[in-house]
Formats: sequence, structure tokens, C-alpha cells
Amino acid sequence: MDLKRRDFLKVLGVTAAGSLLPGCAGETKKLIPYVIPDEEIIPGVADWYASVCRECDAGCGILVRVMEGRAKKVEGNPAHPVNRGKLCAKGQASLQGLYNPDRIQEPLQREGARGEGRFRPISWEDGISRWVSTLEKYPGGAVMISRPVPGTLSRLFSTFMKEISGRLLFYDPSGEGTLQAANRRSFGVDRFPEYDIANATYLLSFGTPFLSDWLSPVHYGLAYGEMRQGRPAVRGRFVQIEPRLSMTAASADRWVPLRPGTEGLLALGIGQVILKEGRVRLAQGDRSRFEKLYGTVSLDQIAAKTEVPREEIIRLAREFSEAAAPLAIGGGTASSQTNGTNTLMAVNALNLLVGNLGESGGIRFIEPLQGFPAAAATPVSDQALLNLKDSFKNKKRSLLMLYQSNPLYTLPPSTHFGEVFDQAAFTVSFSSFMDESTAMADLILPDHFFLEAWGDFLSDGGTPAAGLGQPVVIPRNNTRPVGDLFLSAAKRIGGNIEKQLPWTDFRTMLEDQWKTFLAREVPGQPFEIAWIERLQQGGWWKPEQRLISVSRRPLPESIESAQFEGDEKQFPFYLTLFESMGLQRGEGANRPWLQELPDPATTVVWGSWVEINPRTARQYGIQEREIVRVISPYGEVEAPVIFFPGNRPDLISMPLGQGHTAYGRYAKGRGVNPVILLAPLVDRDSGTLAMGATRVRIERTGRRGKPVLVDQTGEGTRRSPEGRRRSET
Amino acid sequence: MVDYRDQNAPPGGPYQWGMVIDLDRCTGCEACVVACRAENNVRISGEEEASKGRANYWIRIERYWEGEYPNAQLKFMPVLCQHCGSAPCEPVCPVYAAYHTPDGLNAQVYNRCVGVRYCGNNCPYTVRYFNWFDPHWDEPLNEQLNPDVTVRSGGVMEKCTFCVQRIRGAQRTAQKEGRRVKDGEITPACVQSCPTEALVFGDRNDPNSRVSKLKESRRGFRLLEELGTEPAITYLKKAE
Repeated sequence: MDLKRRDFLKVLGVTAAGSLLPGCAGETKKLIPYVIPDEEIIPGVADWYASVCRECDAGCGILVRVMEGRAKKVEGNPAHPVNRGKLCAKGQASLQGLYNPDRIQEPLQREGARGEGRFRPISWEDGISRWVSTLEKYPGGAVMISRPVPGTLSRLFSTFMKEISGRLLFYDPSGEGTLQAANRRSFGVDRFPEYDIANATYLLSFGTPFLSDWLSPVHYGLAYGEMRQGRPAVRGRFVQIEPRLSMTAASADRWVPLRPGTEGLLALGIGQVILKEGRVRLAQGDRSRFEKLYGTVSLDQIAAKTEVPREEIIRLAREFSEAAAPLAIGGGTASSQTNGTNTLMAVNALNLLVGNLGESGGIRFIEPLQGFPAAAATPVSDQALLNLKDSFKNKKRSLLMLYQSNPLYTLPPSTHFGEVFDQAAFTVSFSSFMDESTAMADLILPDHFFLEAWGDFLSDGGTPAAGLGQPVVIPRNNTRPVGDLFLSAAKRIGGNIEKQLPWTDFRTMLEDQWKTFLAREVPGQPFEIAWIERLQQGGWWKPEQRLISVSRRPLPESIESAQFEGDEKQFPFYLTLFESMGLQRGEGANRPWLQELPDPATTVVWGSWVEINPRTARQYGIQEREIVRVISPYGEVEAPVIFFPGNRPDLISMPLGQGHTAYGRYAKGRGVNPVILLAPLVDRDSGTLAMGATRVRIERTGRRGKPVLVDQTGEGTRRSPEGRRRSET
Repeated sequence: MVDYRDQNAPPGGPYQWGMVIDLDRCTGCEACVVACRAENNVRISGEEEASKGRANYWIRIERYWEGEYPNAQLKFMPVLCQHCGSAPCEPVCPVYAAYHTPDGLNAQVYNRCVGVRYCGNNCPYTVRYFNWFDPHWDEPLNEQLNPDVTVRSGGVMEKCTFCVQRIRGAQRTAQKEGRRVKDGEITPACVQSCPTEALVFGDRNDPNSRVSKLKESRRGFRLLEELGTEPAITYLKKAE
């Protein structure tokens, strides 16, 4: 080819210009997303910011790794007393909440009929004006349902709602209302104690899912590890009593199945044997009231009703009373019955019997944080939420506000809670995600995700700490912190409410609360220095824990029996619904990492399933993976069967968390929500929904389902002959 | 002439990385599984691909059912690459993508891999995962991706690296300061997250490391060790 030098240069010039032209403006902006580089950002070097995890209500301290302005990884904060550097699957996946493609990106106003799901973007100015004008239109008509936010936000919400004569309900569907009620009665203390599992030598757990979703799973996970292998020459033993072999029971030395709802009775039987054999630690003159309680039912009757053999009850009693540091805890399946509070009081009585209150390895009440300005967020019961129906019906209330609360999904339809939404003249949601309840709202004013916002979180119970959270990344969307919204609404309404809430933004309010608090706790240190230190540490906690003594120690008067809905002949099965590891009560369903997280017992991902004892399945002629219909007096759901050797033969179990009708692309239309089976029964004493009180029956459909099991272990995993399956197509 | 390896060698001899997994502590909570995914940019497979057995987990919790009701028992075991001393995956690779590092890691060189999958076939622990397609993250989920770790493209075999990016980072720091990596200085993502502290990582060549001490436990065993793979991971069986 004859190419002259001049031509060559021309070609070169055109090529060079061509390769340069398209890139300029657009591409470089993407490389480093700042015109003036942030001085904290060095490309390739990570910054770590301390914050508090808000994926459940345990309040673990976290450190977030941020590179080039983007959050990359969440780790536990080693200094934080709740989780000491550890973190669970949910906390790890919080980044997929932050970077979720289905986050609400701007304020939205409903178009078309309510619940139709059509929304129109509006400006923040319009959005706030509409909300404030509705507040003024219905004086005293507002109700706010918020997830518990102990800390400055709680103070803001409480003050605001009080000033507008509204009602504020802190609601947590997986809260431990029964445990709170039982402890209030047994110990006269309205807080959770520290269950000193780490130092116990014998742990007797009545259905408590403390390794998956009870109180503070990471905290108690740490304690469990220490109980097992953390002490030289001492290995704590652990027995789990519950109708279904849960993930927690899998770690137990022994699993004792019993008839659902009879946990209190079994505790009575165990106490009776201990008292009879005399291995008790009771104060002088205390014995008679225990004798009164434990004398009510004979051991044979207890064995018959609980279906736990008499020998097993005696064995449990001896093991428990002979242990150096015995501890009994209750929750989960034991507390999700109509007699939940009563059952947990009977469990508390066992602890009183062996006198482990305040002891190492026992129940210890820790002195709470003092002096944080009015920040408690005591959750209300499900019943309190249901009572809203009346106040909306008779027009006492007309305006509904929702903050990170999705009652339309978490409450069973049999409670008819939807009426509140129907009756409400106006509904505002501050949610970051289009969940089922937010989809019914008239106005959506989306909050920042917690990793983008300022916030604090007071943990109570065994590890009193004030966690402090800061924005770790620049907010992605056109959202606003919910605190700022409430403060600007206060300003617009004016008058007394403005005087009570004079701050311009939530950050200033937060700093003010901490100024008051730190002036008390670290006197003498200038606030600016103390504040930076707290931000670096991730909050404030005492180096030493002080125990408080408990004087009230009443016993339950008698053992109540659990009530079930559904005729035993027509509906022969008990039903247990459990929180799955990642999805919780559905909150995790929009995070792909959690959808693809295998259920530890069945290895199912991305869907729902029904667990049936293989023996029962054989009786019904059901094949594994066949779709069955689970029917209760209130509804029915269909899902594929997985054989589950850890179920009582008369028990059906299903995971919670799927079956969303909204909540983004990963959650919507996937699996079923078994909550629709539930009867509107609540625990008598605490008003907590009795999730285990509905009976069901099953019907075959003959159709084959496609549950996705990621079991890598292949044949021979299940050594029981019934559970074995041939390799499938 | 100086061997380049000598220049990088830590004072006091090479490292031998290893892990101990205490099954008496493990509760099957799967914090490690998500932590690993977040750290190592492990793809999201989705329901469709997972149903074909193509979901990738560099660490997984295996579950074993034993017995029948009421004596049913469920046992969990975290399984990840065992970083075998005599690894069956390495000699079968035609392009030397699977190789053994001097400090005892089974490394995978992604840009050498041609996807013949012999290594996956030969691994008795089935801990090698193949990328059947290019990975995909719905925007903006991709903003979370860890810049320290390569995103593997379709047709490439991938596996647990003991979080090699963290190991190399700590090694460089130690080298600059003229010392060995301290015990506990390196924690792979799974170890760091584990709530019960069931997973321990460290240098097997250091007799005082936690790993070296724990692996001498009477409860210790290695997975399928009768195959002669010499795994770098020691399991401690559940105590009675």
C-alpha cells in the first residue's frame, strides 16, 4: 500500500480527535463524582465511618467502609458493647437497602384510586405543604405508626404528636411484647435484662430463637460461642424445648418437642420436681408460695398434656437444678400463643426457684443509661394497633402517618386492619420503599436511608449504650431526613409546637441532645472535642455495667391453657410460622443477597415452602416438592412441600417474609405470605398477636412445585430413610 | 542475583495461612455467607439460575439431617475452599489458572482461566463455582462493588481466596514496618463477621497463633482428609 507521510498524519489526526471527542464532559464526571474533590477522599484509600445498624431493633454498632464516596462494606464496630465487632446477615445486607434500585427517589402524590399504585412526583415544597395543611385541617386527628426509634428521633416524634394532640404508636411486629409483659409482672421492671448465656452452664430454652431473631441475635450469638467454648474446662449445656426443630434448636445438645402451647405446663412440671427433690435456692419462708403454684397439677397430667415423657421432665429438672449456673429463657413459639405471657412467667419462676437473679450466668438487670433527654420508644402491642380501627371509624382520628412500618403486610387480614386505611381521610408515608402500606398512601415523603442520615439509637437491656450514626455517603436521591420534615412542619404550624421544637434541622437537634447528655457524662470536656470523639467511637457507653436489684418477684397464679382457633377434626394441624434468617417479617425481601441466602435447614432460596414431617406426608401421599394448599378458617395459601424431620407429625410450619404484593422487583409476587392464614387471636395479657394459635389442614393439588434448593451435599444428606430422595430431573 | 521471592519474604520464614472452624460454636446463622458476598463481589444468580444449580457461594452452610422424629438432629457445617496443600484442582488446569501460592493459598488467576471446568470437576469439596454468564447488578447495586476485588466475567471459574486482598494488604503493611503479620491482624470477611467466633484465621507456621493452637485440639479433623488433599482448614467437631 502506498501511504504518503502526509496522508498518514491526516489519518492519525482524525483518529486521535475521534477518540477524544465523545468522552470529555460525561465520562470524566463519572470517574470522580465531585467537581471540587472532597478532602476526605483519596482514590483507592478507604474511609471508615461509625454508625448504628437499623436493619433490626438490636442496635448493633457498625463501621462502614467507604471508597470514592460509595459505601462498600459494613463491619461490626469492635468497640460497641452490643455486638463487639460482629454482624449478622441482615446487617451485612444493609448496603443493598442503600443501593436498592427500587428506593423511592422523590416525594410522590397519589393519582387515581387509592391502592392503584399510580403516583406522580411533586416538589418537596408541595409535599410538605399538603401534609401540613392536612395536619391543620384535622386538629387532633393524626395517628402515627412508627417503628421504635429510641433516641432523639423518638423525642422529636413524641413532642410533635403531643403538641398536635395526635397519637404516636411505636410498633414492631417482631417485638417481644409478651416477654416485656411477663418480666413486668415477674420482676416489676419494664426493661429487658441481660440473659447471661455466656456464663451459664445449663441453658434451658423454651422455644427462644436467640440464635436467629430474638432480642439481639448477634449479642446472644457471641454469648453462645462463649458458653460453649469460651471457658477453659467448662462447656455450657443447652436444651431447646419447642414443637419444631428450629435453627436455634439445631445447635442444642438435646431437642425436646412438645405439644404447642403447653410450654408453661412443662415449666410447671420441671419446677415441681425440683421443689420435691429439694434442690432449690429460696429465701426463708418463700417455699410455701412455690408449693402453692406447683401443687396445682400432677406430673402425670403434665406428661400427658405436654406429650413430654415423665422421665424426660424429671431428667430436665435434675439437670437444671444440679447445674452450677442454670438459666431458663422463653420466647418464640412458647410466647406466640394466647397464654404467652403466662408461659413466660412460668419460665421466670424456674429462675426464681434456683435463685439465679443477679448471679453470673443468670438473669441480670443492668442499670440503664441515665440522662439522655426523653428518648424512650416503648412499643405498643398488636392489640393497640387494632384498637385504632374504632377511633378511625368514629372519626376521632382521620390522618394516618407511617414511618418504617408496614402493618398491611405484617398483620393478618383477619384483623381487618385495612379498615384504618379505608377510613383514613389522608395517609402519609415516610418510607424509603414502596411497601404494601406505603402503596396505599396518598402522599409519600421519602426518608433518607439510615446510612445517609444523622441519627442515634439507645440500646437497652443487657448492654445499655447510646449509638451514634452519621451519614456515610452523600444521599443518592431527592429524599429528606424524616427529622427535618417534622421540624419544618413544626415551624410552619408555629405557636407552641415551634417553641418546643425550635431547631432548624435534625442534625442540630441531635447535637443539642448530645450536648446536654455529654455535659453530664464527661464534664469538663469541650463539646466540640467530645462530639468528634463520639462520632469516631460510634456512640457512648459505660465501661462498666452496674447491676440493679429487683425486689418484686411474684409467681403466676396458675398455668393457663392456650386457646386455638379452628376445629381439631376439621383442621388437624398446628401451624408454626417462623422468621427466616434474612427476610425477617418481610423487611429483607427486597435485598437480593437475602433472597439468595439459603434457609439453613432446607437450603431453599427465592421463595416460600411448607414444612411437613415426612411420616405425615407419606400418610397423605404427598411427594416432596409437590404443591399443597394450607387452609385455615381464615384463608389459604399454596406452596411446595419440603420434608422436615424436625416437625411434630401434627405440625405444619412455614417461613415468614415472602408473598409481597409490592416492595420492589425482588420481593413482589414471590412466594406466599402465610400471615393470611392467621386468626385474630392475641395473647391475653400483653395483646401480642398469637401467631401459633391457628389450626390448619392441608389439601393436595397434584401439581409439582419448583422450590429452589441449593443443597450441595446431594444424596445421603438425610440419613433418615423417609427423607431420602432420588436425584431429580 | 536475588530471587524476587526472597525480597518479599517476611522475617522468620514464609507464612502458611490456615483456618480453624469450631462446629461447637457455629450456629448456621449465615452471617459469613453474606459477608463473603459483599466483600468479594460474588454475583447474584437469581431464582432461574439458582434452580439450575448455578448459584455461587464461596462459603456455604451445609446441613445434615440425622435420625427421625422425635430424635431428629440437624447439623450445620460451613464449607469453603479448603486451600489444600495437595490440591486436586491445581494439576488438572491446562492453562495454570489454578496454582499454589508460596504462602499456601489455592489461587485462581481469572484472566488465565479458559473455563474448561476440570478444576471444579476434580474438587472433592465442590467449592469451585463457574460463571455461566457475565454477572449483572441492577443499578445502582453495582455501586457497592469492592474495588479491591476483580469482578469475574462469564466463562471463568471462581472460588474462595481467604480474602487474598486483605492478606496482601496486611502483608504489605507489615513488610513496610519490617515485621511479620501479627496474629489476628488478618481477618477474612467471614471470620470478621462470625457472631459466635466459630471461624479463626491465621498463620500455621507461627506456633503461637490461635490457629496453630486450636488445630491441635482433640476435636480436630479435616474434611475428607483420607483423600490426601492436606486441607489448610481444620474443623473442630461438636463437643458432647
